[in-house]
Amino acid sequence: MKKKVLSEQSLFSGQVSMPKGFEINLEKLSKNILDSLITKSDFKISKNWDMLNTYIIENINLKYGLRLENKKMWGNVYRPKERTHTLLEANLFDLKNSPDYTLLYGVDVENCFIKISYDDNRFKGEGYEIELKNNMFIIFPSTNTYTISNEQTENLNLIHTIVYNEYK
Amino acid sequence: MAHFAKINENNEVLQVLTVNNSDVVNSEGVETESVGQQYLETHNNWPANLWIQTSYNTFKNQHSNGGTAFRGNCAAVGYLWDSVNQIFIAPKPYSSWVKDIATATWKSPIGDAPVLTEQQKAETLAQTHHWIYLWNESNQSWDLTNTLA
Repeated sequence: MKKKVLSEQSLFSGQVSMPKGFEINLEKLSKNILDSLITKSDFKISKNWDMLNTYIIENINLKYGLRLENKKMWGNVYRPKERTHTLLEANLFDLKNSPDYTLLYGVDVENCFIKISYDDNRFKGEGYEIELKNNMFIIFPSTNTYTISNEQTENLNLIHTIVYNEYK
Repeated sequence: MAHFAKINENNEVLQVLTVNNSDVVNSEGVETESVGQQYLETHNNWPANLWIQTSYNTFKNQHSNGGTAFRGNCAAVGYLWDSVNQIFIAPKPYSSWVKDIATATWKSPIGDAPVLTEQQKAETLAQTHHWIYLWNESNQSWDLTNTLA
C-alpha cells in the first residue's frame, strides 16, 4: 500500500531568533508601520524589515525546502477589542497573480489571536487559533481565510504582513 | 570573486554569497577573510563571525582545478560548518555513519557501497534496469536495488 500526499495546507510559526546584538528593533518597525499608515504611503523597506524578511526566507528554505520571494508588505494597527472581518490575501478571481503564502509578524502585540480557516475534506470551515506574540511569525497559505483579534482593552496591536510567492 | 557562507548559531549554512575581491583585501592588497567578514556584517546585518569563507572549487576535499582544497567542500544551504576540523560537510545521512575528515564526507560503518558488476552496469546503461546500492540503516547493509522495478 502506498500513500501520496496530493495537497498540503501547512502552518509555520516560531520566534525570530537572531544572533545577539543583531535583534530586530521592534520599536523602529512599529514606527515604520505607523509612518506608512499616517502618511497613507506604502510601507518602506528598512534595515529591520530586511532582517525579518531575510530571516524568514532563509530559515524556511533551510528547514522545509520552501523557497519564498516577497511580493508585497504592509503593517496594520488593531484597536482594543477589535476583531477583523474575514481576511483573505489571495484573489480568488485572479489566482495566477495571487501570493502563495501570508506571513503575520507580531511587532507590538498583546492578547492577539489569529484564527485560520481551512477545509478538511468534507469538514468545511474548520478553524485553528494561535496566539501571536511579539517577535513571533505565522505563515500559512494565502488561500486560507483568517481573522485577527485584539482581545485586550488597553493597547493597540501592531502586526506586520508580508505575502510571498513560492518558486519551485 | 570570493565566496562566503552565512551560518546560523547551530553552524547550519543559510546561504552562500559572492563578494568582489576588492571587498576582501586588506590595506596591503592581500585577500583576508576577516576583511570580507566585516564587509558582510556591515552590508548584510549578520555578525562577522557567522560568515565563513568557502571555496567554489572544492569538493570532497579535492580542488577541481588542481589547486589547494579549502575547507572540505563548497558550502551549500543546509551544509554544516565543522569549526573544529574547519570543513563544510553535508548533513549526516544516517545516524550510524561516521565523518571522514580526510574526504569531508560521511561513510557507512562498513565502508562504501560495492561496485556494480559489468552486467549490472550494462543493464543500467540499456535502461532495462537501474541498479543502485541503497543503504539499509536497519540491517546496516548495502542493498542492491533496481529502482525501475
